[in-house]
Amino acid sequence: MRVVIGEDLFLLREGLVKLLSAHGFDIVAAVGTAPDLLAALVGERPDVGIVDVRLPPTHTDDGLRAALRARAQVPGLPVLVLSQYVEQLYARELLADQAGGVGYLLKDRVFNDDQFTGAIRAVAAGGTVLDPEVVRKLLGRRSRTEPLTRLTPREHEVLALMAEGRSNAAIAQRLFITEKAVSKHAAGIFAKLDLAPSDDDNRRVLAVLAYLES
Amino acid sequence: MEAMNLIAQARARGWGLLLVPLALQYALLTTQRETGVGEVVAAVAIVVFAPRVATKAVPFALVILGLWGIILVRDLERGSVPPTLYGIVLAGPYVWGNRLVLPEAMLFLAAGAWLFMRVGAPGSGLVRAVARRIAGAVARRPSRWALVLLPVLALALEVLGQRDWLGQQWWTTEWTLVSGAVLAVGAVFLIRWAPSVAAIAAATGLQILGLFGIILAAIWTPAMPDQYYGVVALNPQFDTRAGAVAQGLVLLAAGAYLMPRVIRQHLAGAPDRNLAALTERVQTLTQTRTDAVGAAAAELRRIERDLHDGAQARLVALGMSLRAAERMFASNPEAALALVTEARETSSRALTDLRDLVRGIYPPVLADRGLADAVRALVLDTPLPIELDIDLPGPTDAGGQASTIEMPVGAAVYFAVAEALANAVRHSGARTVRIHLSHAAGTLRAQVTDDGAGGADPAQGTGLAGVERRLATFDGILAVSSPPGGPTIIAIEVPCALSSAKTSSC
Repeated sequence: MRVVIGEDLFLLREGLVKLLSAHGFDIVAAVGTAPDLLAALVGERPDVGIVDVRLPPTHTDDGLRAALRARAQVPGLPVLVLSQYVEQLYARELLADQAGGVGYLLKDRVFNDDQFTGAIRAVAAGGTVLDPEVVRKLLGRRSRTEPLTRLTPREHEVLALMAEGRSNAAIAQRLFITEKAVSKHAAGIFAKLDLAPSDDDNRRVLAVLAYLES
Repeated sequence: MEAMNLIAQARARGWGLLLVPLALQYALLTTQRETGVGEVVAAVAIVVFAPRVATKAVPFALVILGLWGIILVRDLERGSVPPTLYGIVLAGPYVWGNRLVLPEAMLFLAAGAWLFMRVGAPGSGLVRAVARRIAGAVARRPSRWALVLLPVLALALEVLGQRDWLGQQWWTTEWTLVSGAVLAVGAVFLIRWAPSVAAIAAATGLQILGLFGIILAAIWTPAMPDQYYGVVALNPQFDTRAGAVAQGLVLLAAGAYLMPRVIRQHLAGAPDRNLAALTERVQTLTQTRTDAVGAAAAELRRIERDLHDGAQARLVALGMSLRAAERMFASNPEAALALVTEARETSSRALTDLRDLVRGIYPPVLADRGLADAVRALVLDTPLPIELDIDLPGPTDAGGQASTIEMPVGAAVYFAVAEALANAVRHSGARTVRIHLSHAAGTLRAQVTDDGAGGADPAQGTGLAGVERRLATFDGILAVSSPPGGPTIIAIEVPCALSSAKTSSC
């Protein structure tokens, strides 16, 4: 799997390169600034880009903006955004194009390499992976939009885990229910959110987006 | 015992007691009767049975009596006033008494105005505001000599008014009142805005008027019409030329005493209103700087403590775990693995600690995106429906470098809004909150309104007070309106917060 890395801190960049190489990823470019990142993402068209939110030149959200611009030029280009902090605001912006293939994780998640590489693969496959921290904040909110209030508590739980990018099998294991039951809950969620039958991945993205917009 | 009782009763009625003599005065003025038994009985009845009404009526009665006196002066000018008792003065065909009517009327007006405030009569708020304004202007103006201009003008008016100018006899009450009012307003402005110039004018006026008195005494003959000159009047009955000379000399001396002083003051660059304004500004800046330094020091102490007890302690634990794992690697690989796992978890917790700390120092989204998006992010993280209305200049998305809110100001306003929002969530039981953020006419405004229980008191709890101090560093203010039952409105205003405005005069 071809990967582009945008991270300005040398130690972290080299650490990511080593970690991902060890897991069999093919690092096609590892850059340290937003313009270089945009060029690499658009030029290399990797299977997934791993992007630090804060990059030179301005050291604000240049990385995020470069990722958004790359996705504007190459629709659906999978990007996994890493940050020292997570904001629902940024999650919304990343998901706004509804194309999927988006991840948004705290940098600490890199420590757990199995989960991290799993997230990279899920994003590359067009899935949506939100940090549990973002999902926790979503749960802390009273939903304001009508469709979401129709979800049962169990469906809420399933949707939250879906937002974290977990597969049906992982959700089943986590909630101690069968995979079939998870599929049933998922179908219930899609129906209540008025998501027409299409490919499952896309509906999961839209469901998560509806969740964010609530 | 009886007498004591009466005194206590009288004391309880206070200023209201004045209504009785005032009623007698009105009876004498309106009916010219020798007695005013009916009016006095009515006044006593009010004082006894409705003491509060009596107290509030007295200032009105005094003011009306003062206005009456001014009208009386006009009637006296026209002659044909029977002997009238006005206060302590017997007016009518008596020159000396008549000259005391106007000062006495002024005294009544002043007493009425003062009592207005004292007893809190209806309309006293306005009177008090005006009085405070005047008192403030006088207190702020360092040169008291400038005030001499007012009596000098009054005397000049009297002296000038008696002459025929352009074939007209101007010495009428209407002319005196109108021209006196115009001159008084002009003089007050001069005193207010250029006190040293006003003081010089006053000293000059004193000398001219003094000279006039001496010249008047020299050329006076009994054939001339009556001459009025301050406290002196010259007419065939009273030959007071000596008095005119004496008054002239006093005025000359006063002018000579003042002149060098006021000129020196003027040349010294005049302690004027700019100085007063600057003094006030320096006081404000000193206070807010002290607060800011204190707040910054407290903040640094908090950060130091958080780092020491949080991330630093965890890093120590991390090092110890890793060292222990290192030693056990060969002998007990499983225990070593458990220790390494623990070390990883500890590092995660250290990161969480640091993240929370950073958020409290300067929220990253504020650094990345500026105030508008930081408040949007805050709203997204708040478990309440919030209506957000943001009207700030400049782009907030890509390349937001145009005219953004200055960083420290943005942070102060951000934390103010965050505190207000946290209060609404924690204490008010609000169901909806409205946040309005705008920038207009050089002022950044934020308003947080909730429909909760109200009764928030900024004096209780240090949250809003700290926010207020932080805002004061930027000349910002915070106002809280929170009546019991709600709604609670917290309004914030900070002047001139755009960085592009830096180049202008702000």
